[in-house]
Amino acid sequence: MNKTFWESKWAKPISAFISIFGFLLIWHIGVNSSSLGELMPGPIDVLSRFVGSFSVNIGQYTILGHALWSLSRVAIAYSVASFAGVICGLAMGRYPKFEAAFRPYFEIIRPIPPIAWIPMAILWFGLGELTKYFLIFLAAFSNVTLNAYTGAISVDPELIGAARMLGASDNQIFRTITIPASVPHIFAGMQISLSSSWATVVAAEMVRSSEGIGWMIVSGMEINNMQQILAGIVAIGLIGYGLATFMRFLERKLLVWNERGA
Amino acid sequence: MSKNIIKLEVKNLCKQFGDLLVLDDISFNVNKGEFLCIVGPTGCGKTTFINSITKLYTPTSGEILLDNEIVDPNKHNIAYIFQEESTMDWLTVFQNVEFGLKVKKIPKAEREIKVNEYLEIVGLTEFKDYYPRELSASMLQRVSIARAFVTEPDLLLMDEPYGQLDIELRFKLEDELINLWERTGTTVLFITHNIEEAVYLAENIMILTNKPAKVKSRLPVNLQHPRDIADPEFVEIRNKVTELIRWW
Amino acid sequence: MNEDISIDSVQKREKSGYIIISLISLVIGIFLWWLFTEGLGTISHKIMPGPIRVFQSFFSKFYVSAPDGATLLQHLGSSLQITLLGYVIGVAIGIPLGIVMAWYPKFDLFARPVFDLLRPIPGIAWIPVMIVLFGIGLLSKGMVVFLSVFVAITINTYTGIQQTKSVHKWVSHTFGASNIYTLFHVAIPTALPMLMTGLRVALGAAWTTIIAAELLASTKGIGFMIQQSRGLFRPDIIIVGMIAIGITGSVLGWLLGLLEKRVLKGRLSKE
Ligand SMILES: Nc1ncnc2c1ncn2[C@@H]1O[C@H](COP(=O)(O)OP(=O)(O)O)[C@@H](O)[C@H]1O
Ligand SMILES: [Mg+2]
Repeated sequence: MNKTFWESKWAKPISAFISIFGFLLIWHIGVNSSSLGELMPGPIDVLSRFVGSFSVNIGQYTILGHALWSLSRVAIAYSVASFAGVICGLAMGRYPKFEAAFRPYFEIIRPIPPIAWIPMAILWFGLGELTKYFLIFLAAFSNVTLNAYTGAISVDPELIGAARMLGASDNQIFRTITIPASVPHIFAGMQISLSSSWATVVAAEMVRSSEGIGWMIVSGMEINNMQQILAGIVAIGLIGYGLATFMRFLERKLLVWNERGA
Repeated sequence: MSKNIIKLEVKNLCKQFGDLLVLDDISFNVNKGEFLCIVGPTGCGKTTFINSITKLYTPTSGEILLDNEIVDPNKHNIAYIFQEESTMDWLTVFQNVEFGLKVKKIPKAEREIKVNEYLEIVGLTEFKDYYPRELSASMLQRVSIARAFVTEPDLLLMDEPYGQLDIELRFKLEDELINLWERTGTTVLFITHNIEEAVYLAENIMILTNKPAKVKSRLPVNLQHPRDIADPEFVEIRNKVTELIRWW
Repeated sequence: MNEDISIDSVQKREKSGYIIISLISLVIGIFLWWLFTEGLGTISHKIMPGPIRVFQSFFSKFYVSAPDGATLLQHLGSSLQITLLGYVIGVAIGIPLGIVMAWYPKFDLFARPVFDLLRPIPGIAWIPVMIVLFGIGLLSKGMVVFLSVFVAITINTYTGIQQTKSVHKWVSHTFGASNIYTLFHVAIPTALPMLMTGLRVALGAAWTTIIAAELLASTKGIGFMIQQSRGLFRPDIIIVGMIAIGITGSVLGWLLGLLEKRVLKGRLSKE
């Protein structure tokens, strides 16, 4: 077949290779042939620093140790926030009075970015773990709540009507129809929340911490060590990408389950 | 009428998707002002065929000539009514109908006159400031029809345009189509898998085989419009076409 | 007919009942806040100021520049200036890039891999890089805001353009339109809702990023204000700052909402 190069299955990997290689090459030449090199390390330096920091400590830990610190903070606070958010969102959908009581606080807090809570959180909870948990909780909670609530109130009313005709009680309807139907919404909220949790933990560690990936880049800033900063950024990007991929994978599994369950 | 001038000439048209052969050596001519119906079973390659004429698909081999030149939507005045819903949801009915005229850089004043004229013909004058999501499926189809006709195309291609509509509306729009065709003298290629519809509309019917599609046969329908589906002559032709199709 | 009206009025009564619940809930909340702070003094005002104090500080902060060196509006002005600068440049570059990437597949093949490489990195992570490169000031913060905006708006524009239906492109092509005409009259209108979402998301990202940057290293701005106030044990000013951040973010979002309504007229109403 006389397919052109652009239509062949090689087009994508080859062009991706050329493009990334080109990007690194421009970066390399840029820092090696101008005064930019005084401030900015080249890609090879960054990569070797990244790899090297798996065996050499930065501060108290290796890069892996810092990453695990950040990830464990996210894991704990994000789980709690997701759980609380799902309960809260579903409850808002189930009990209009609860929604009426809760919503004003929700609406007041929601427009304030979690990062803006950092000073207050430090004042309240000190410099320890609790502050970070609190901030991540804020980053994750409102999205999950809002999505769970949307899921709960957007269930097909005909479905509910039919169930009621069959004599189902409100509680039964909620358990067997509303909750399963909310799952995709909840999951969408959890996906957004995970990436904002990741950004928030980095920010929180940047402002005040003595370990974690955010600390790693900010301490690089304090000692003017661009290699350390960029190695940290590589780790942040990789983990961010990994988390998003993991959530997409879970979503596929879960949606299959949801379709079967429905 | 200059009915014997060849408008569209299809020569040895073949189209493959990968290893799947869909159109197998199709050749035929259409005269100027002719109304040709193309009948074939679902999935035989009718849409592929019409998409090749408009250059949306590149033919694997063969030639398509319009007025003795290789067909080119930039040069020729073609309009195509698609099988699927194709009105643009960000434009009002008026703007949708105006779309082709704007592409062809017709001056604004003239556009307005023409669009209003065709909106009147398809009965959508009252709805000209509505957006597509406010209209029913049949109204949307009429928007597409007006959009095509308003450009007064030399060649009008229609791909099962009434497939999704209910019978009553189909009858109405079929009559509208015949009226428009008679008024404008356009050459029409009308694709359908509905035999009755083909016999009701066409001057000539071309039957395609199952995939890969070849031209199976071609027969004229020498009846005056408007036609009566209970007319014995009509029934006879319909049966003849049905008979030919049995052999799919 | 009668029945309709009565159902309607029942719903209205329920609605107003819920508003009353909301109000009561809010009043109770504020009362408890007051009780444990200014009322009983259970919580030190160095940890959590009472509502009256916050209220007073909010208004006095419009003309008092102590303890952090500037009034509320001066801080806000500084933050907004950088935000808008980074935002406008990010949008001005991100929208065309997203369009070109989505519309020209060959360009996409080469541009996307590099873009995908940068995309999972949150904007705030670039703060240290920019500070080392450009020092503390407008340029470094503007760059960080720019990067957050740029990524968000490019992705949304790209996704929007990709939602263009083939059949709409075909309509345009069969009428003889050029590729570029189809881009402007079919693809971009298709992408508009996504693009507006992108503008909104990017604005949120910009506002969050500037505050993070100011928390970290700055000499003015609303983020600087709340960070300074923490060191000075002035939680009332922190709360004032947080309220100002929330209100400003909402107002900016509301302004974009107005624009969105204008741009998407006819497409939004009557869902
Ligand atoms: N873009 C395409 N790529 C691959 N196969 C296609 C494409 N378009 C159509 N086909 C295949 O060509 C055959 C004919 O399709 P089509 O022309 O749509 O049939 P019809 O319009 O007669 O129902 C089908 O088997 C379909 O799967
Ligand atoms: Mg078809």
